[in-house]
Amino acid sequence: MQPVLTEAARADVATATPPSPESHRLSHATREKEQRLVAWLAARHSVILGFSGGVDSAYLATVASDTLGRSRFLAVIGRSPSYPDAQWDAARTLAAQFDIPVLEVNTHEMLDPNYVANPSNRCYFCKTELWSVLRTVARERGLETIIDGTNADDLGDWRPGLQAAREHDVASPLADLGFTKDDIRALSRERGLSTWSQPSSPCLSSRLPYGSAVTIERLQQIERAEAALRSLGVEGDLRVRHHGDLARVEISAGHLDTWLAPRNFRALTDAVRTAGFARASLDLRGFRSGSLTVLGAAAGA
Amino acid sequence: MTVHPLATALASLGIEARVDARDALAVITLPNGEAAAPFRDASVRRTVIALAEAHGFKTVALELGNAADDRAPLSGH
Repeated sequence: MQPVLTEAARADVATATPPSPESHRLSHATREKEQRLVAWLAARHSVILGFSGGVDSAYLATVASDTLGRSRFLAVIGRSPSYPDAQWDAARTLAAQFDIPVLEVNTHEMLDPNYVANPSNRCYFCKTELWSVLRTVARERGLETIIDGTNADDLGDWRPGLQAAREHDVASPLADLGFTKDDIRALSRERGLSTWSQPSSPCLSSRLPYGSAVTIERLQQIERAEAALRSLGVEGDLRVRHHGDLARVEISAGHLDTWLAPRNFRALTDAVRTAGFARASLDLRGFRSGSLTVLGAAAGA
Repeated sequence: MTVHPLATALASLGIEARVDARDALAVITLPNGEAAAPFRDASVRRTVIALAEAHGFKTVALELGNAADDRAPLSGH
């Protein structure tokens, strides 16, 4: 699909897209955090990381790989229907670019009725499956410490997956050493990681209201729609929220004026409908993390 | 067809649209793409969001009618 944005409109979007390089200039305190992280990693016998290719785990993977080498470090990608193909491709590309040792495994949370029912603690069941698989890999390969990319900002959010991490003795060095998302973006930029300016990328199941069953068909609808919108030229934050036959698209608020131009709005609508939704709508507030929680459970389940 | 009170309120602003409620989500359906143009103005969006909140909604989304609807006036507003 050809991007629909005109050159002028694309310039508008680029202007509005955070974060700016200036806002991620490295401070002395941030550099010290990285030094402490390197020391923390070096003190481990060996490490295995849950690696999604997102901002946090990408940064942690490069530092761990540089510090420990291939014999003491392994990044593991857990594949499932809730993990977008585009992110999988990006994770593999980044791993190849930075010579990160990677193993891909399949996870089977879709076989767990607790997960499929999509309760408010859905992430707990997904992470329980992921960490169980990684624990097995670690045992088979003699890797001692399991880590994840949780950062200090995450600790204030509603994240039931953290409980699963605790139960499986997963360490979170970025959070424990006080790394904020801004720290990680700044350090990623310095390392030349393309993820430094990447929007946060939670799994596709997060687009379904709690109580609305997670099915492969729904996840594929969401993935197709988001991929189509990226192809059109949507940049920055993007979520296609699933309300049954209706898709509610959230984009960065600063981009709304561009995408509400009649020609662009029609193209956006057509792209979402072609992806399998009978109805396509654009949220007038723009992207908000956790907007489905505000709306309550099971709209359009 | 019952007219949603929010549709009546929008009409008083000059916005002709159909409104349907999905729990706390208001879906505003426009007759065609040109009708979306005023919403490029952030102040218009803020006004519409405030109006929707006054009618008990927490979120507002804008939708284009089907292609067939483009050729006929919207009913139900």
